[in-house]
Amino acid sequence: MKVLIMGCGRVGSELAALLDAKGHQVTVLDVDSATFAKLPATFSGVALLSDGTDEDSLRAAGIEGMDAFVAVTREDNRNIMSAQIAKHIFNTPKVICRIYDPLREELYQSLDLEAITPTKILAQMLEERLTK
Amino acid sequence: MRFNNILVPIGGHKADEEAIELACKIAKGGKSKIYVLYIIQVKRALPLDAELEPEIRKAEEVLSHAEDIAEEQDYEIDTDILQAREIGPAIGDEVAERNIDLLLIGMNYKRHFGEFKLGDTVTYVLKNAPCRVFVLRQPLANQEEK
Amino acid sequence: MYIIIAGGEHIGYYLSKALLSEGHEVVVIDKEAKRIKRIEEELGSICLLGDSCEAGTLDEAGVERANLFIAVTERDEDNLVACQVAKHKFNVPRTIARINNPNNEVLFKKLGIDVTVSSTNLILEHIEEVVPTHPLTHLLAIQRGELAIVEVKIPPSSTVVGKRIGGLPSLAESTLALIIREGQKPQLPTLDTILEADDRVIVAIKPDQEEALCAALSCA
Repeated sequence: MKVLIMGCGRVGSELAALLDAKGHQVTVLDVDSATFAKLPATFSGVALLSDGTDEDSLRAAGIEGMDAFVAVTREDNRNIMSAQIAKHIFNTPKVICRIYDPLREELYQSLDLEAITPTKILAQMLEERLTK
Repeated sequence: MRFNNILVPIGGHKADEEAIELACKIAKGGKSKIYVLYIIQVKRALPLDAELEPEIRKAEEVLSHAEDIAEEQDYEIDTDILQAREIGPAIGDEVAERNIDLLLIGMNYKRHFGEFKLGDTVTYVLKNAPCRVFVLRQPLANQEEK
Repeated sequence: MYIIIAGGEHIGYYLSKALLSEGHEVVVIDKEAKRIKRIEEELGSICLLGDSCEAGTLDEAGVERANLFIAVTERDEDNLVACQVAKHKFNVPRTIARINNPNNEVLFKKLGIDVTVSSTNLILEHIEEVVPTHPLTHLLAIQRGELAIVEVKIPPSSTVVGKRIGGLPSLAESTLALIIREGQKPQLPTLDTILEADDRVIVAIKPDQEEALCAALSCA
């Protein structure tokens, strides 16, 4: 599978490493090249210094041939916008983004945008462990 | 010191009564005019001129109580109800419009999460009102804990 | 009308001032207390401190009774999300977003934002008036010269007059950004737009395709 990951923070770099280790073709984008240091030495994919919130930079990163796009930058709105570009402009088959704000996530689920809300998931996990 | 026009904004609290009483005492010496103003804060979910029956009824009660207090002091006051988005700026507008030279405002001793709080309205008028401002704070014994 | 403006920078400030003077009810939402203070000092209690992408803030602003929601922050992504929340969560009838990157116009439209205003296009409208009319006028180079914004005036003799844009394969390679028709508001072209004589079409195009475009639109 060819995957484009936007945001090479803790989650982005971890995901890139996992997918890479399983033999997938990974391209990871970030606006700060220092973040690429988080990728393991064995990483065989592509790390690109790029914004990712506009069509041109996504096209340049090769989104047109990708099977999946994941947006995990620190900012909800950047993730939401680039995920929608991937989904609606490039018709990328699988698009997932991270949205911290649970209310915003609810709205975008209803607009058919697949999103993960770490805030909500963590709170639920904590609650489960505490009340088990 | 003599004042022509005194404005007493009230909100239906205990502190208002003393503020009105004090305003009357100050006014007597110089035959000042006293305006007592009740401001209804209107949420943005409603238009500013929304007809807020229960709020208006409460305002009328509070103002009629204010008139009683003034009467006890043997002084006449003018009362008015105003609808606004923010209390402080609305008081500021009234000060300018009515040529107010003394703003007299009563406040409770309030604590919020354990800390003394001056409140947005008092802070605003102290900072922005062009005229003299008296703040009549209630004694500590009357403090409210929120 | 009740109008909510997201973003109290220069545009938000001047916009609110103009709308107030036209008698509209206006509220400006901004995250920066400093900007709010500046607006309130001059225009009164018309501001709300908060994040215009958050449902809670919009609720407090009374977004449910708003007739119009305008997002004019410096960031396209914030404008997009604010408008989407206003439109899809609170059903505001009309949303307008400012965009900085003209590429985003297509995306915003697709996602249901009613009107997008790109500063680039606005500047073009003004350039319009001073640029002499001939079939193709080169207006602006963007993306370091990889793309150009040009204006083509369609002569009455052109074969494209009366045709649907979607039915013209010769236009497939270019992005039609705006159609300016005498006496009408400039409109965003869609596939179903019918071209008329004397339409001025603003197109984003790769420089090497300019000639082909000019030929396609103006040939008799």
